[in-house]
Formats: sequence, structure tokens, C-alpha cells
Amino acid sequence: MNLLLPGMYVSSDSTLHRLDPRVKMAAALLLMVIPFAAPNIGSYLILAALVAIIALLSSAPLVALLRTLRVVFWLAFFMFFFYLFTTPGQPLIALGPMIVSWEGLTAGAVQIYRICLLVMIAALLTFTTSPAQLAHGLEAVLGPLARLGLPVRELVMVLTIALSFVPTFFEEIEKITKAQRARGVDFRSGGIAQRFRSLVPVFIPIFVSAFRRAEDLAIALEARGFRGAPHRTRLHRLRLERQDLVASLAVLAVILAAIGLERLI
Amino acid sequence: MLITVETLSYTYAPGTPLARSALRGVDLEIRPGERVGISGPSGSGKSTLVQLLAGLLAPSSGQVSLDGAAAHQRAPSARTQRGRMGLAFQQPEDQIFESTVRREVAFGPRNLGLDEDEIADRVRWALGMVGLDPAAMEERIPFTLSGGEMRRVALAGILAMRPDVLILDEPTAGLDPQGRQDLLRRVRAWQEETGLTLIIVSHNLDELAQVVDRMVLLEGGQIIADGPTRLVLSDGELLRSVGLEVPQTVALLEALGQRGWQVRTDRLLPEETIAEIEHARKLEGAL
Repeated sequence: MNLLLPGMYVSSDSTLHRLDPRVKMAAALLLMVIPFAAPNIGSYLILAALVAIIALLSSAPLVALLRTLRVVFWLAFFMFFFYLFTTPGQPLIALGPMIVSWEGLTAGAVQIYRICLLVMIAALLTFTTSPAQLAHGLEAVLGPLARLGLPVRELVMVLTIALSFVPTFFEEIEKITKAQRARGVDFRSGGIAQRFRSLVPVFIPIFVSAFRRAEDLAIALEARGFRGAPHRTRLHRLRLERQDLVASLAVLAVILAAIGLERLI
Repeated sequence: MLITVETLSYTYAPGTPLARSALRGVDLEIRPGERVGISGPSGSGKSTLVQLLAGLLAPSSGQVSLDGAAAHQRAPSARTQRGRMGLAFQQPEDQIFESTVRREVAFGPRNLGLDEDEIADRVRWALGMVGLDPAAMEERIPFTLSGGEMRRVALAGILAMRPDVLILDEPTAGLDPQGRQDLLRRVRAWQEETGLTLIIVSHNLDELAQVVDRMVLLEGGQIIADGPTRLVLSDGELLRSVGLEVPQTVALLEALGQRGWQVRTDRLLPEETIAEIEHARKLEGAL
């Protein structure tokens, strides 16, 4: 595993790791929505600064964190050009029938900014919150829906299992890829059709092993009497500490400042 | 093929909090036709080393050369090079994907660009080498076979590429005792028939003792012993110090020695051990 991917948890003991998962999840959700609601350069800068400070508090190495942005490189790339050419405005340069405007340029840049911020926030959340904590937090947040008959615990359980198998899944892909490379598969050359075909020897074994794993897990759960009992208690309970209050207030204050700035200017 | 490893180091996920150094400054030379065993505790770098030998990983520093050419190459010409190194990962049956045994075994040779007649010949030959009857097996669906049979099919798929160097990573893991013995006998027979270089990674020193002539021990990403199997595997103290299980034959002779028997401990194979004990009894009777 040579990559730090969004969705992976890095065990450590930073300020961010110690925060209550509910606080982190709520803050992450808010911070993901706000960039879409505050179209103003000042507020963008404030939010970016906040995310940068959070990143510093996470004790994650910044280079590795920034590298996770590679995942969305192509998405950001296409979004930029899409907005660049489709936003009407004062023409800046004309490339044949395509017109590049100042508005298009800024709209494209804003899209890149939003995508990067989204990925950063998601990566920071999963880097600093273990799958178990995430599930616990999610269960607490979705708790009220259980009264409407929604099987919240079971859904969260499914999500936790899925999340905790992400690294295993990547390891498996890497192992099978290497095994097939050793048998002479070349994943790097040939046309699109040939490259696609060369993926078959990887995907079939991965599917087979995923099904086998799921079956084993189901048997293991049943063998230990898992029924998704409705009144299960927890070993660790979530309790809001002072640091959680401080963090919540700080995030709220910055978000209000970012929105307020828009009103002022 | 001559394998030369010079001051080889490898680090996983460099520059991230998950960075882990797997090999540090390994020097090794393996000559054509050698039978080498590689062992060491979990996480000592065994699997990393063989992947570097097979050119599947690029060294972080140092180098691996095969007959003087770098093992890890991106160029298309490296494809033929790769065919000369056969690597079976742990649980090689996990890599099976084709719809019939014949197609599965033919996959590697086909990637080497061989013609159909040659491929068909090799498939039959390789299935025979792993102890499967080509006529009965070729059209079967691999996923319906038993675990042991799938392992053999996977190994046949690698043998069919006729590599100069065959690397097996824990080849007997998960097989029953009879399956283990059978596989080891066959591995030995392949080596003798084709004269290929054999490299086996294993925790099971009793098994390695039966097949390899030279042992390399790794610990913490460094080579801590490299020499004739008889010498390395009879050093109970060294093996225990890195958490490996001493071969049962050696353990038995050691225990007898502690009870005052005049026995040598460098008798690895069961027959040798029996001969040594009988010899010691005769000496005692003579006294």
C-alpha cells in the first residue's frame, strides 16, 4: 500500500483524534455545505484557513494529505474546463468558437477550490476518526430515526463493516495485480480495449474473494449470536467534553464570519 | 540466471505516517540452478525481497540485477524478462480467474506470445508436473475444484511459463500433511528435471530442510544468516532467537545431547537423524 487514500484511518493521538466523533461529523457536514453557500472570495479564504488549521491539528503529514487530492485530479480538471467555457461573461480570449471570460475563469477556479476542500474535509474526518468511532457517532446522530422503524444499528453495522474492509480490499487488489503481472499481464500498454481486458484477471479473483469473505463473515456473526439486538449497550459512551464545546464554537464562529462577510461586502 | 542484489532497501508508503521500512541494505547473490530457502519471522521482509527479485517492486535504494540487467523495468521489452522469473504468491489459487483449467494454465504462456501448439504442449506438460491428469482436468471449471487441486492448477500456470527462476512464497501453507509432502517432492523433481533456480520462502524449516541446499535468514529487513542449509538450520540458538521453530530433527538431537548422548545436531533429514541416533547407541554399547 503506497498511497494514503481518503477513507483510511491513521491511528494517532492528536487534538483532532480526541474530539467527539459527533462534533467532527457535524462540523465536516457544515464545512462541506458552506463553500457552496458562500460565493465570495473573502469567505473562501476564511474557510480555507480554517481547514488548514484543522489539518495542522490532525498531526497528519501535510504532504500525504495533499496527495489525496490526486484522487479527484481528473474531476477537478474537467469541472474547470466545463465552467471555463460555459460561463457567460466579458470575453477575455476567444479560441475559435470557444470564448473564455473572466467570469468563466473564476467560476472554474471556484469549482476546483470546492472539490479540493470537500476532499480535504472528508480525508481529515476519516484520517482522525476510526471506523468504530464513525459508526458510533453516526448511530448517535441517526438515533431518532430508529423510532420511525428504521434499522439504524444494522445500517451502521453494514457501513462499519464496509469501511473496515476498505484497506483489505486494496491490499487484495494489489496482491492479485502483482500476481497477474508476474504471469506476464501488462497493465500499462495497449489500447483502451486491451487495457480493459487486462483488468478481467484482476476483477474476477477480487469478486470471488469478496463473496467468500462476506460468507465467512456472515457465518462468524451468526456463530456469535448476532441478532442486531435493539437494546444493546456500549462499552464506551460518547460524552461531550470541554474541548468538544470549544471546537464546536470555534467552527461555528468561523462559519458565521464567512457568511457574515458576504453580507458586509 | 544470475541474481545479484546489492545494498537493497525498500520502504512501504514512504513519506506517509504509514511508512514502514521492510528491507535495509540486503546483499545477496544467487547462482543459476541453486536451491535457496528464505526464512525469518513475520514482517522480516521475506515477501518484499522476493517481489523485488521478481521485478514487481522498484527498489527504494540499491539494486536487483538479473544477468546484469535491472529486475524492475517499465519498458515493454521487460515482458520477456518477467517470463523468466516465475513467482507464486502465498495462496496462488486466489489468482485463478479463467473458465477452464486449460485456459487458466495457458494464460501465462499466452502472455509470452507463444503459438497455440506450443501453449497446448506446455499446458499438458505443466499439469502433468503438478500431478494432475491433463485429459481429465483440462475442461473442468477451476472454481469447482478442491483447494489442493486449485493450488496445483495455479502452480501449473506458473510452471507453464518455463521460468529460469521459480520463486514459491509459502507453497505448502493451508495444505494437509500429505498434500504438503507431495508438493515438496514435486518441487524437488521440477528443479531436478529443468535445472531451474529455486527460491522457497517458508516458516516451516522442516520442509525447507528437505528441499533447499542453502538457507538465508532475514530479521528486521536484514540478512542475519546465509549459508549451507545444514549449518544454518542446525543452529538452534540462532533460530530460537528470531522466533523460528527449530526443525524437529534438530530439536530431538539437541534434547538427546542435553541428556548426555554423544550426537551431532546437524542431521536435518529424518533418515539422517535415525542414522545418527543408531550410531550413538552403537558407540554407547561398545563402551
